Amino acid sequence: MAKPLRELHDVELAALSAAGGRREFGELVRRHSPAVRGLLRRMGAQPALADDVAQDAFLLAFEKCAEFRGEGTFGAWIKRIAARIYLKRRSKDARYVAEVENDEVAPNVDSAGRMDLDEAMKGLTEPERLCVSLCHGAGLSHPEIAAAINLPLGTVKSHVKRGLDKLRARLQSEPVAHGSASHVG
Amino acid sequence: MSVDEFDPAIERLFARAPAFADSAQFEAGVAAKLNKSSRFRTVALSVAGLVGGLIAVREVLNVDFNIGSSSASASAGGGATQGLSMAGVDAAQAVQSLLDRLGLAGLDLGTMGGMQMFWATAGVLVALLAAGVVKLSQEI
Repeated sequence: MAKPLRELHDVELAALSAAGGRREFGELVRRHSPAVRGLLRRMGAQPALADDVAQDAFLLAFEKCAEFRGEGTFGAWIKRIAARIYLKRRSKDARYVAEVENDEVAPNVDSAGRMDLDEAMKGLTEPERLCVSLCHGAGLSHPEIAAAINLPLGTVKSHVKRGLDKLRARLQSEPVAHGSASHVG
Repeated sequence: MSVDEFDPAIERLFARAPAFADSAQFEAGVAAKLNKSSRFRTVALSVAGLVGGLIAVREVLNVDFNIGSSSASASAGGGATQGLSMAGVDAAQAVQSLLDRLGLAGLDLGTMGGMQMFWATAGVLVALLAAGVVKLSQEI
């Protein structure tokens, strides 16, 4: 008897998808779409456009599923695909660059006064946000980021460092977030 | 990533996927786009197969006629053309009898010439072949 889809590993699902399995690919979409959508928003894409890019990334992944051999995780693979599609569109269409919200004065926090990563990311400049999310969200190396967004390597490193410093400051300035970080870290 | 940039807490925050209320809608959107691209591919393959098949049939016929003329045998060339016409007439009769059985006897194919009938039959065969290939490509 075949195992239920939810019990199959990503590599098995990808292999079945490569053979044309729509249901199996649907399971991969179910598992990984939140991470992909979240990454694109963190990179600075507006929600509707982020979802558009995420859907196109999954369509491309379905076409290229046979190329996924399980050397890394499927999640990392699809996030890199999505990030590259977004960068390509962003370089051609200004609509894909979201305006950075200046919410330093009144950041959105939950009832416990906690600021989450997405909220903290809003305090970064657009290049910092892009570099940090490409590095820590999509798993690209600094040279890969430099090549992808056409910036000098040193500039990319500076953006990542400054972005991380700002993130730490924003996240740790919240008492609950600080407690949470120490709990998980 | 340099060592001083590695921060387990930050890494963990990035690894945590946010929850979206409209996840089901998003997944349905991906499925719809997949179906759409599949339909487009089916149509494109059918059209390409049809056009390619017709061109192939035409080329085959041209080759036959050229062979007939280059062999300097007018009777052989004439025979080939005549054979083709006969095949067309046979096909017309077969199709006509099929139409009779389907109660579409009013459609008189007798007015079509042998050559026209041959082309029509070849077209139908090529279309059937293309449909078969498309169906096969979807199943594989």
